[in-house]
Amino acid sequence: MRIEWWILLAVYAVATGILFFTPKNKIRLAVVAFLFKQIITFLIGLVVVQLGLLEYPIRFFSSVSRTSFTYEYYAFPVICAAFNVWYPNDRSRLIQIGYYVGYASVLTMAEVVIEKYTDLIKYIHWEWYISWISICLSFYLTRSFCVWFFAKGRV
Amino acid sequence: MEHLILLAMWLFGFIAFLLFIPRKEWRKGLLAFLMSQAVIWLCDMPSFKYGLLSAPVRELPKATDLPLTINYFFYPVLFAIYYVRYQPKSSLWYRFTYFFVWATGTTLFDIMLERYTDLLEYQLLTWYGMWIYIGFLNYVSQACCNWFYKDEALFQTDGRPS
Repeated sequence: MRIEWWILLAVYAVATGILFFTPKNKIRLAVVAFLFKQIITFLIGLVVVQLGLLEYPIRFFSSVSRTSFTYEYYAFPVICAAFNVWYPNDRSRLIQIGYYVGYASVLTMAEVVIEKYTDLIKYIHWEWYISWISICLSFYLTRSFCVWFFAKGRV
Repeated sequence: MEHLILLAMWLFGFIAFLLFIPRKEWRKGLLAFLMSQAVIWLCDMPSFKYGLLSAPVRELPKATDLPLTINYFFYPVLFAIYYVRYQPKSSLWYRFTYFFVWATGTTLFDIMLERYTDLLEYQLLTWYGMWIYIGFLNYVSQACCNWFYKDEALFQTDGRPS
């Protein structure tokens, strides 16, 4: 089996592992973050492939979808769920920004390494900083949705 | 013609969501929408892969073989309205009829699309297969939403991002 398939399987395993660390009283927050993230990644992921900006040569469900099901349906939403569950809400603005930068940077670095050394993803008209910015933006949108969803005044 | 129908689905979907879901139930409606969307997406992947049905005319033909508007927006909106209007404390007979009517209505709409447009094409699937499939999708989405709202008291305090 090619190394790429092992990586995909490892991604499923690690993402599922991350889910198990969710505290019981935050499971619903994790669910909302996960689901909301999905509708962002689903649409944007398809659009960038349609426009030919990115390519995922090796993927699951390859005959019906040219995007990465693993990343967009599962891995990225799981990370977003973790992002929201562990969000440093009571800390200073600086730490909160650092939290965003940290998540986005680690994800972007992982993506760049995967792009460079495997056939899981190929940048065509794409740069690492577009990934970085879009990751930050999608985290921010999801965070805002979660804050609204669980807000006290339920209007 | 097909593109007009897609446009109409977006338009009527938005209007229906605003019209049939009261402002204070938006959270519930959106959760049902998201849940249904995730379930449909997951189930349609293998269904399209193994040729149960196909979508000849679709929004992003290069990126995916799945129909975007129907999967991503329209059926989830229908389910959201179904879920918000559902009365869990009513009699078993009422709940069964309610479920049955929604699944049947959605299926009829689906069959019309299949029959008169190129938006959907059943391959291995038959009309009653679609009916069972939609019933199944609704049932799973509903079970997930019920789990989410199972403990209303717990829900009020625990999930708040703090």
